[in-house]
Amino acid sequence: MAAALHTAELGEIAPDETEILRYAMLPRSAQDGADLPLDACLAEIRGRIRCRAVWREFPLIRTEEGLDLGFAVTRSKDLGRRLSGCEAVLLFCCTAGTEMDRLITRATLRSPVHGLLMHAIGAQQVEGACDALCAQLAALFPEYTLSPRYSPGYGDLPLALQRDVFAALDCERLIGVTLTDSLLMRPSKSVTAIIGMKKNNAPDTVSKRSILLYRRRSLCV
Amino acid sequence: MRLTDLLRTGPFFLDGGMGTLLQAAGLRPGEAPETWSLSHPDVITGIHRAYYEAGSHMVLTNTFGVHPLRYPLSKCEAMIRAAVDCAKAARDTCAACGEHFVGLDIGPCGRLLKPLGTLDFEEAVGYFAQIVRIGAACGVDAVMIETMNDGYETKAALLAAKENCDLPVLVSNAYGADGKLMTGGTPEAMVAMLEGLGADAVGVNCSLGPKALRPIVERYLAAASVPVLMKPNAGLPKDVNGQTVYDIPADDFVRGVVGLVPLGLRIMGGCCGTTPMYIRALRHCAANMVPPPLAEKRETVVSSRSQAVALNGAPVIIGERINPTGKKRLRQALTEGDMAYVLNEAIKQEERGAQVLDVNVGVPGLDEPALLTRVTEELQAITDLPLQLDTANPAAMEPALRRYNGKAMINSVNGSEAVMNAVLPLAKKYGGVLVALTMDEQGIPATAEGRLAIAERILARAEAEGIARKNIVFDTLTMPVSADGNAARTTLEALRLIQCRTGCGTVLGVSNVSFGLPSRETIGSAFLTAALQSGLSAAIMNPCSDAMLGAMLSCRTLNGQDPNCGEYIRFASALPALQAVSAAPSGAAAPDTAGQEGLHRAVVKGLREEAARWTRAALDAGRDGLSVIKEEIIPALDEVGRGFEAKTIYLPQLMMSAEAAEAAFKEIKAAMGGQQQATRYAMVLATVRGDVHDIGKNIVRLLMENYGFAVTDLGKDVPPEDILAAVQRLHAPLCGLSALMTTTVPAMAETVALIHREAPWCKVIVGGAVLTEAYAKDIGADGYAPDAMAAVRLAEKLTGGPA
Repeated sequence: MAAALHTAELGEIAPDETEILRYAMLPRSAQDGADLPLDACLAEIRGRIRCRAVWREFPLIRTEEGLDLGFAVTRSKDLGRRLSGCEAVLLFCCTAGTEMDRLITRATLRSPVHGLLMHAIGAQQVEGACDALCAQLAALFPEYTLSPRYSPGYGDLPLALQRDVFAALDCERLIGVTLTDSLLMRPSKSVTAIIGMKKNNAPDTVSKRSILLYRRRSLCV
Repeated sequence: MRLTDLLRTGPFFLDGGMGTLLQAAGLRPGEAPETWSLSHPDVITGIHRAYYEAGSHMVLTNTFGVHPLRYPLSKCEAMIRAAVDCAKAARDTCAACGEHFVGLDIGPCGRLLKPLGTLDFEEAVGYFAQIVRIGAACGVDAVMIETMNDGYETKAALLAAKENCDLPVLVSNAYGADGKLMTGGTPEAMVAMLEGLGADAVGVNCSLGPKALRPIVERYLAAASVPVLMKPNAGLPKDVNGQTVYDIPADDFVRGVVGLVPLGLRIMGGCCGTTPMYIRALRHCAANMVPPPLAEKRETVVSSRSQAVALNGAPVIIGERINPTGKKRLRQALTEGDMAYVLNEAIKQEERGAQVLDVNVGVPGLDEPALLTRVTEELQAITDLPLQLDTANPAAMEPALRRYNGKAMINSVNGSEAVMNAVLPLAKKYGGVLVALTMDEQGIPATAEGRLAIAERILARAEAEGIARKNIVFDTLTMPVSADGNAARTTLEALRLIQCRTGCGTVLGVSNVSFGLPSRETIGSAFLTAALQSGLSAAIMNPCSDAMLGAMLSCRTLNGQDPNCGEYIRFASALPALQAVSAAPSGAAAPDTAGQEGLHRAVVKGLREEAARWTRAALDAGRDGLSVIKEEIIPALDEVGRGFEAKTIYLPQLMMSAEAAEAAFKEIKAAMGGQQQATRYAMVLATVRGDVHDIGKNIVRLLMENYGFAVTDLGKDVPPEDILAAVQRLHAPLCGLSALMTTTVPAMAETVALIHREAPWCKVIVGGAVLTEAYAKDIGADGYAPDAMAAVRLAEKLTGGPA
């Protein structure tokens, strides 16, 4: 039985300058006094970004072939660990949209630093949109504890799973995200991820470190 | 009645959802609906029949997901044939009376087109053409392109349909709640482009319910001269007891749709979640309604990917800066393929209020067709402004017009037979607003009446070709007043006369009037004011000139076209600041000595303007450029580089320093003029095929240039053979490759092998998030750089220079 595909309009995410500079490879400890043209870049994006997401719920079944996620079967041990105790998953794709890519191109024309900062702004937009979506999902499923999101390409979860993700979410039609032959997502500031759904009061098995590791790498999404 | 007549009369009923019904019939999640035309033809036929019997005039074949990017061509053909057979079988066996049609359904291809994505425009046209040819051969009655959420892909599909069949083509886009396509298109921009390309009906489907789509449909009705269609969803999907249901019941749905018929909606149906029951109710309610007659809209509109600009309201500014005539730096940029310079000219004009950009790339010796197309593609990727394609060469006009993502201004046609024969068919085929020059084989008539006669001749020919009068604007030709004292007067007389007699808009390139005179902007701005008072619709002018822009904005304000004088006030309040910058003496805040500490500090701190000022001061004080580089800039860069390696300085700071150094180098280069500079090692840089990440590569370029390498940056997604060709052409001793994905590293390995085989003198260094030293060795690279600074060190080591 197919659960419905849902879309979410997440709008423009409030900029978090500390976070943006961290995505631009400037650690918090070095941010004081750094004289970067961040304000000019933020002025460029104002009112132009609309983050969107599509999500769908799938039952999770453990079979001899591995984890049956409802849209694909995987033998990933890393994902298996993260989904321990879960009975279903939420699969989503979230994007900051094509306008973000256009703004990055324009900023890069201005100067490489503007380009770097705009990339970082894009990363914070899409990550912030993922956070907002996850908050909505948590409110929608109060009887469940949702595990932190985990994406194809991390750990031993193959990037090739993206093809199944795209088939399951109808990303192109619903939110305009496409997948290239080399499994890149366009628009570039897009994230796909799986969230485990565990009935409340089950023990948490996910380490904080894995979340940090995931976030630090998201500039490359 | 012919199908096109029925569409123009209305109400015309389309079908409803297909996927929804297939799921109810057992289609599994992830299973492709289009495969059911082959595996379950009875089910598909049954659904079509139900729609015909519910009142649909036309059903759409079950081919939405059929595309050569998803299936081999033979499979596409089999599915399309089967799908058309199902629809025809339903038509032949349905119990309903009346005329019934079969529409070939074409959906999006699932890829984003370049430059946002990776699919080439012509490749997309080619794929859609294959679908259209198969469908037309199967005997469908119409083509319907639907659920398109990118305007550029919509153009590719429509062009393919028009070029490969003579059937009516209906085009429907999918909008978000913000009233825009995913790639930013607005209803007005889409209507302008699609009507220009010859769509028989335009409209919207999917995404939202009828109430939410209403404002978008209203905008279509206000802009379109062709029939408008609407196929909304039955609201939003919800999970109820494990089933997907949509939240708008049939009666609410019908109310939402039929409310638009009195406003002009004439083609209607449903999308996701709608069933024959919805269509039956729709037909029942709307069958006897009579939409108001179709009316040709009179606005002269050009469009870009994202916006439409009308030439009937306040006078429009067409930026003239992308034209190499008399512009040495632009000519150089075009010759060297320096697109960044060209694009920055566009951004500057946009920021100064240009609403359309003229694009002329005519440099003797360059391949104008290729260059105009390239510049057009690059510009439309970064600007929201419509373009005016400016060339006298039809062979350059056609490919650029073809790939233009919108409805362009076509500059130009004139009264000469040969030119009309070449240009009018292009305007007819691709759409656009034609700029018609009032001259012919005999030259430019000396009188206003002479120019009017040519205008009338062009107009008659254009209308005979099927080009609407509103899509022609006349240029009565600005001549230098220094050569003929009556030149400006005649131009303006002709302008008034032609507007009055033809009702068409006008455009003038105003700058030419002042040619040969001192203080050109003084007389130029006066001429612009006079032309605007004569009714000029659009001025091709330099928006970066305060005098010219001031004249334009003043006229708009005086004519009541600037609410609350807002635009004028914004312009005027920026004036003193602009003057302060341009008039600032180099010494105002600048150093009075050429001390080492100042420049060194400016570079280390990443202060761009200060670095330039210190450098100018040093040069003014008689210092030699090369010694400034060696003794000050390079040591400063080294200090920053060491800080970066020691992790006391971070990437954005390193880049700020590099940009400050770049500003200093620019001053030195300008001062040295043609003097011999230090030998620069050539380096070719690229992100490999299939990969579009370029941030790391851009940082490497910035630093390498700082350190004196002459970098040729080929960009991203570059095929191995193109990289090799550049290495060979430059005999480059060094090549840098970047890849960020495990899936694109094989392309990097392929490139390394090719270069080593065909250009053995070249050392290849590689970098990117997924690479390691060991992996770089594995694929045969000469070196691996974990970051940009390391790339510089490695390059110096491998080449023995140049720092």
